[in-house]
Amino acid sequence: MSETTDQPVVETPHGAGKPDMIVLEGVEKIYPGSTQPAVSELDLAIPQGEIVMLIGPSGCGKTTTLKMINRLIEPTSGRILLDGKDVTHVNGDQLRREIGYVIQQGGLFPHFSIADNIGVVPKMLGWDKQRIRERADELLHLVGLEPSTFRDRYPRQLSGGQQQRVGVARALAADPPVMLMDEPFGAIDPITRERLQEEFLDIQRTVGKTIAFVTHDLQEAVKLGDKIAVFATGRLEQYADPDTVLTRPANDFVSDFVGGGAAVRRLSLVELAHLELHPVETDEAGTSGATGQGTAAGSRNGVAVAEVDGSGRPVSWRHLPDRDAAGTPLVTVPISGSVYDAVDVMLDGCASLVAVVDEEGRAQGVLHWNDLVGGLRTRQGHA
Amino acid sequence: MNYLDYLTSNSEQILFLTQAHFLVVLIAVGVGSAISVALGLAVSTGEPDPPRFSLDWFAAGVREGGLVFTAALLTVPSLALYALFLPFTGLGVTTAIVVLVIYTLYTVLRNTVAGLTTVDRAVLESARGLGYGRLRRLLTIQLPLAWPVILNGIRVTTLISISIAVVGAVVQGPGLGILLINGISRIGAANSFYQVLTGTLFCLVVAAVFEIFFAIVQRLTIPRGIRV
Repeated sequence: MSETTDQPVVETPHGAGKPDMIVLEGVEKIYPGSTQPAVSELDLAIPQGEIVMLIGPSGCGKTTTLKMINRLIEPTSGRILLDGKDVTHVNGDQLRREIGYVIQQGGLFPHFSIADNIGVVPKMLGWDKQRIRERADELLHLVGLEPSTFRDRYPRQLSGGQQQRVGVARALAADPPVMLMDEPFGAIDPITRERLQEEFLDIQRTVGKTIAFVTHDLQEAVKLGDKIAVFATGRLEQYADPDTVLTRPANDFVSDFVGGGAAVRRLSLVELAHLELHPVETDEAGTSGATGQGTAAGSRNGVAVAEVDGSGRPVSWRHLPDRDAAGTPLVTVPISGSVYDAVDVMLDGCASLVAVVDEEGRAQGVLHWNDLVGGLRTRQGHA
Repeated sequence: MNYLDYLTSNSEQILFLTQAHFLVVLIAVGVGSAISVALGLAVSTGEPDPPRFSLDWFAAGVREGGLVFTAALLTVPSLALYALFLPFTGLGVTTAIVVLVIYTLYTVLRNTVAGLTTVDRAVLESARGLGYGRLRRLLTIQLPLAWPVILNGIRVTTLISISIAVVGAVVQGPGLGILLINGISRIGAANSFYQVLTGTLFCLVVAAVFEIFFAIVQRLTIPRGIRV
């Protein structure tokens, strides 16, 4: 961390060691005709390669803060450093070409083809045509749109979700180290939004950008953020990783904002892949071949046995310790999901246990309802 | 003499006057539109509500003032405006064109301002966020997106100009007005009604030619992504 660690509420157990990419020092914004600062005396440091979620109620200054990073809004006072360089007074247009920017409705240029939309920043930076075209195809691929289908289309021919993907591709075009995202998934339907969030995390694993992300959705903040910055009327109330914000809110404001559902929300932070699950054995139509995490084949004491179909997917419970197997519906959840997903599936299927399955649909283990209140055990050596 | 005989025996004159009418309108609308679009672009503001005494604030003032002024000019009766210009530009083509240019200003300016200000805020914001400077934003984003609206203004003003140009005949301006004025002043005399009828009908022909012209221009200049 740099010299800006004198903030009162910063807790950065993970960030240590990585250099800060975005640093705001004593930044303040007072809009003309207003006496109350929209953002006051803000110190914030975002380490390289991390996603920081700026969250808070409307008018809390989170969007103003974001837009001061690329100087769409000029700060009244204070300093902004990008990668150690003071950018408070450099040419704003030049600066913005070095920073990715994604807004809510995508903001694609309706009269440009998709490829041209993605190519706007490289074009301004003077890349040659061939390179711009290759880059557009590469990025379309990255955001999951087939280049040959989409490159010559126009924005209005795309769905909201597809437009937002193109918006992300456009922001990535010149490979900026820093991306600013202003509620990019806010106007998207819940199902598509969830998929875009997953894809966004996938992309981030590949590109490793430093990202400031404005949202008003706590769920989204918890899911996507390495850190969360909670704002209230121009002040930073807490800046910490999601787990800390949920379990140890810094003050009454944050705890009110996080609300009563914090314990439930935390479940989405716990990935099933990291849990110690109960073993499960599988039986294919009569025979008793055991796979999964069962200890010894055929030992049916205390081990759940699921009946599987020809391709190894569990279809029903054959034997369950201490309960009636026939009366318990078999529900499954992919191992890539979180405990939150598992709970959702259990509630939905009225089942007190759920089979955790891998990508091929084969059972990997079992999670019991009682585990949730009895304490979840994390698997060793599986960070 | 029936009407067909009249047309054939006067075809040369009719054709000449129709061409002249077309050209006068074309020149006047061309000059007027260039002025109005340029003015509209010059006084377009980046912000919808610019801070006091900023450059944008003055631009907004010029814009609103310009709209009121050109609107006032449009309400001056055309007969009067032609007469008022006589002392300065004399009889003939110059007066005819100058007055016609004045009548084209309001519609095109109004549509230019409307087109530029109704461009999607999100599009402009993302352009700014990607590092588009103000001029680049105006010329490569706002203008193309506003173009269909601007072009419509030019189209409307052209139709209005075709009928106003007729009055130009009172200052000896070229065009079909000559036939009309002639016919009306000799009403009752031989062929006078045919002259009025011809002047009217060939105004429609000029309008039709312009409509075809604009359909082609529209096709060629409106970007594919926003064509409806």
